[in-house]
Parts: sequence; structure tokens; C-alpha cells
Amino acid sequence: MIIQPLKILAAILITGIILVSGCTAPQEDEDEPTGLTELRFGYQPSTHQIAYMAADANGWWLEDLAPYGITSTEDKLFATGAPEMLAMLAGEIDVAYVGSTPPLSAIDQGLEAKIVAGAQTQGSDLVLANDLPYESPQDLIGLKIATFPPGTLQDTVLRKWLLDNDIDPKEDVTILGMGGAPAITALASGNVDAVFLPHPNPTVIESEGYARVVVQSGEMWPDHACCVVLVTQELIDEHPVIVEQIIRTHIKATRYIIDNPDEAAQIFSDDIGVPYNISSKSIQDWDGEWVSDPNIELATALEYAKVQYDLGYTDKLLTQDDLFDLSFYNKIIAEMDEE
Amino acid sequence: MVQSMDIRRRILEITSVASAIIIWEITARIINKKYILPSFSEVGAAFLELVSEGELYRDTITSLNYFAIGMGAAIAVGIPLGIMMGWFKTFDKAVDPIIEIIRPIPPLAWITFAIMWFGLTKYAAGFVIFVGAVFPILVNTYTGFRNTPRVLVESGKVLGCIKNRDLIFRIALPAALPAIATGVRVGMGVGWMCVVAAELFAVSKYGLGWKIWFWNDLHHMDIVLTYMLVLGLIALVIDRLFRYIVQEWWLKWQTGVVV
Repeated sequence: MIIQPLKILAAILITGIILVSGCTAPQEDEDEPTGLTELRFGYQPSTHQIAYMAADANGWWLEDLAPYGITSTEDKLFATGAPEMLAMLAGEIDVAYVGSTPPLSAIDQGLEAKIVAGAQTQGSDLVLANDLPYESPQDLIGLKIATFPPGTLQDTVLRKWLLDNDIDPKEDVTILGMGGAPAITALASGNVDAVFLPHPNPTVIESEGYARVVVQSGEMWPDHACCVVLVTQELIDEHPVIVEQIIRTHIKATRYIIDNPDEAAQIFSDDIGVPYNISSKSIQDWDGEWVSDPNIELATALEYAKVQYDLGYTDKLLTQDDLFDLSFYNKIIAEMDEE
Repeated sequence: MVQSMDIRRRILEITSVASAIIIWEITARIINKKYILPSFSEVGAAFLELVSEGELYRDTITSLNYFAIGMGAAIAVGIPLGIMMGWFKTFDKAVDPIIEIIRPIPPLAWITFAIMWFGLTKYAAGFVIFVGAVFPILVNTYTGFRNTPRVLVESGKVLGCIKNRDLIFRIALPAALPAIATGVRVGMGVGWMCVVAAELFAVSKYGLGWKIWFWNDLHHMDIVLTYMLVLGLIALVIDRLFRYIVQEWWLKWQTGVVV
């Protein structure tokens, strides 16, 4: 007999709680949890991608994404963009800080992902052994040059620059694809004559004293696009509010490292283990620039797509629609301008 | 009767391979993601393109060159060392601990030293293959010599074969040949697998293993799978050829010894 009123009371209480929670919940849909609780990032041990490391070191990823239900983030460090894209193809990462070229062949082969923000331009150097002369690109004929594997940004920029200077990258030089550490070892042991690598590798090599920077990538291809932020199509389609917040946090981190280069060098040093003096010098010496606007990288990214298509790396000529989703960034910037 | 059994066996083999291909094609079409599983028809198309461009021929020749260097060195070192260890106890006791420390180290771990010692050359690739192939050859040669029936050795001595050199070459070596052949066969299998690892560090622009890494970096899994299958098929041909040579020449005296 007592059970019936208790049931009614419980029903009223539950209904009340639901109604109250409905009233106190955030007004905008954007603040509601989306069902996703963990984000997986991929990045590389390069000063190009300090924005990711800065947001991570300052706890911004978790702090900013918590209102959307993200309770944990995980990151994976990749030597180059090629294995990073394989991991994304395998569904192991949701967001990739990566060069703008590795996504090309991956998207060409079926990866559903889009570039939603820029990360950085230029920032790689051609480093030549001290005993070899250099006055013009012609001096490289007959040499062995180590760079990142086929399809990476360094491989693409180097090959195009050689072609622009009437050097056949297949016949006149030997280009060997490998990660940064093996390339440095190969140069140190005299097994290659030069390397073309992103920072801080050139500074690391120069500090050892057996080679020197002869060309910066900005001279090869002025203002060329380098790293970008790539997110899966699944994230875009199913969790657009999270994508928007990722870009907001990325913009915040990019501004932070531009305004605080010493802190940026310290964050990189702590994350990767490169001595502070090397990372600091690398940031001073490089010709790169941290950016977040994907529109800056658009034109050269499409040129890369053409180069890779001509090299036979991709089956089809990729277009802006295949590679970019600018809507998030443009919306955020418009809102920021209004504020 | 024998002929009809032979035909039946062939039909069974062809049916088995054809079934595998059909299942592969259907599965790939269901998955419908080329980077997860390229279909047989896509791999076939990639194979034909590579053949028509002459790329596959250059890659195969390059890899076989590395393999020949590695296997040649493995046979040249493995068999004499195995003979010495199997025949001379003092030598065995002195060398065995060193061999047992080096043997478990994976060939891949030697890549850095291969580059340092031999540079980015075919000899560096050959060295990695050598490391993979030498131990099966050595161990089998050793075992073959250790298991030489004492009665054969004693008989040899009674018949005037006294010197170690004569006993090794006239008595123990023929007795150990089946074990040595097995060692070389196993070594070839391991060595061929090491071709992919040996070409990981880009000693040239060609090679079956190198192309697997190259196209893997560009996510063209149809071409990657093509090269993988070519590697497998070449290994099969080498193995069949070796077995034929061993059975027809090396161990011809064994015909009729066992069923």
C-alpha cells in the first residue's frame, strides 16, 4: 500500500530532475556533449608543430574540449607524415598535425579527411657536407641527398626545385627517403652528401659542425605551405562543434607561440628532448612562420597536388574540395572579427 | 593410373588457388576500401602496368643481386664454420658462446652497422641478408657433422682414412649433406625475407623490398600487395629450383635409401 505513493513520488522527482537539468543545461547546442569522449592526435618531432605541443603543455586541449564531453586526449608521435597518414587510414588518429603533402596520396587512395587549419609555412633547409662546394643547384648533380620519404612535403619541394633548376631528380641526383634521425646518421657517416629536412634537424646538424645550411626552403619555393591540421571526415560530419573548438584552440596556441618564442622553444625541448639552446636557435634561424589560416596554404597545396599527380604519386588530380574544408576557420574568424 | 592421379592433383591445386582468388575478390569488393584490401583485379592491373613499364624486371634483378651477395657470403661462412665446430671440439667450445650471443639478434637490428660498415651500397643490403641466412646454415652443418655415424668414421679409419681432412671430406661431409641442404634451404627462406628489411634503408632506387616501402609511403596498397606477391612467388621458384638441384645432383645417391 505504501509502495504506490513512493512510486509516484519517485516519478515526480525524476521528472523534476530532468526538467531542472534541461533548464540549467547550456542554451546552445554547441555546448552539449557529443558522445565522443577521447580525441587522438598525431604529430611529429618538429618545430613546425609546436602549436600542438603548446596546447597540450598548457592543458588547453582538455580544458577547451571538456564542455563538449572530451575527457581525455591521446597523442602519437610519428617520424614522418607517411606513417602518420597510414595511422589515420587505419582509424588510429582523429586529428593530424602533418605536412600538407602526405594527406594528398592518402586522400587519393580513399582517406576521408580534410585540412581545416594551417599550421606553418616554409621551415626546411638543404644542408650540405662541409667539404662540398656550393654556388648553385648545379653543384648538387651526382650527389646523394637524404630527405623524408616519397610523398612527403620535403620530397615534393626538393624534387620540384631540382626540376625548376633543370636537374632531373631521378637521373642527376640520388634522392634517398628516410626519417630525420637516419638521415642525420647517414650524413654524419658520409653515406649521403646532403640532407633536406625540417627544423630543428638543420640546426642539430650545424651544431655538430660537419655540414652547413646552403638553401632554405623559402628560397626554393617562396611562402610554400608546410604543415596543416587535418581532421577525419567522421569528426567533421558527426562532431562539428568539436572540430570548431579544435581550431579555436589551435588558433590560441599559434598566437601564443608567435608571441612567446622562448616558451615555444622550452615546450619543444621538454616534449621532444632536444636541448633548449638547439630548439631556441632553430626557431631563430629558420625561415618558417607559424600560421593558422588554411587559406594561406591553399594555393601551394593545390600546386603540390599537381606536382604529385605529375610524378605519378596520385591517380587523380586533387581539387580544393577534395582537400580542404575552410568553412570552420572562416566562420570562426568572422565571429572573432565581430567580437 | 599415375597419370590420372597427377591430373587430379593438378586440378585440386588449381581449384584451391582459384577459390582463394574468388574469395579474395569478393571480400575486397564487400569491404570496398582499396587501402584496407585491394581486390585481385586491382592487383592484377597494377602487376601488368609494372611489367609493361619494365619496373618489375629492374626491381627483381636488384633484389636478386642483394640476395646472391648475402646468400653467397652466408654459405661461404656458415658451412666451413659449421664443419669446424662440428668436427673439432675445442674449436666448438671456443666459438659456440660467441655464436649463441649473436644468433638471436634480429637482422633488422644490424641495419645501422650495415650502413656504417658498408655504406649505402648493395653490400650493406647483402650483409643484412647474410645475418639472416648464415645461422640456419651454420647450425644445420654443425648438427650434420655431429650426427655423423661413428661406424662410418671408424670404418673410414680402418680402411686407411686417417687424416682429419680426409675424414671430413670423404666421410663426414657426404653424411652431413642432407642436413647442410636443409640448412641452406631454411637460410634461403630467411634470407629472402630479409630482402625487404635490407632494402628499408634505400641503398638504391630499385628493389622489390624498397618498392614495398616506397608505395607504402604513398598508400598505394594495390602496388604494395603486388610486390609482396612477387616476393612470395620468387621465393617459391628459388625453393623449388634448389630442391630440384639438391634431389637431382647433390643428394642423388640418396635415391632408394628412403622411400
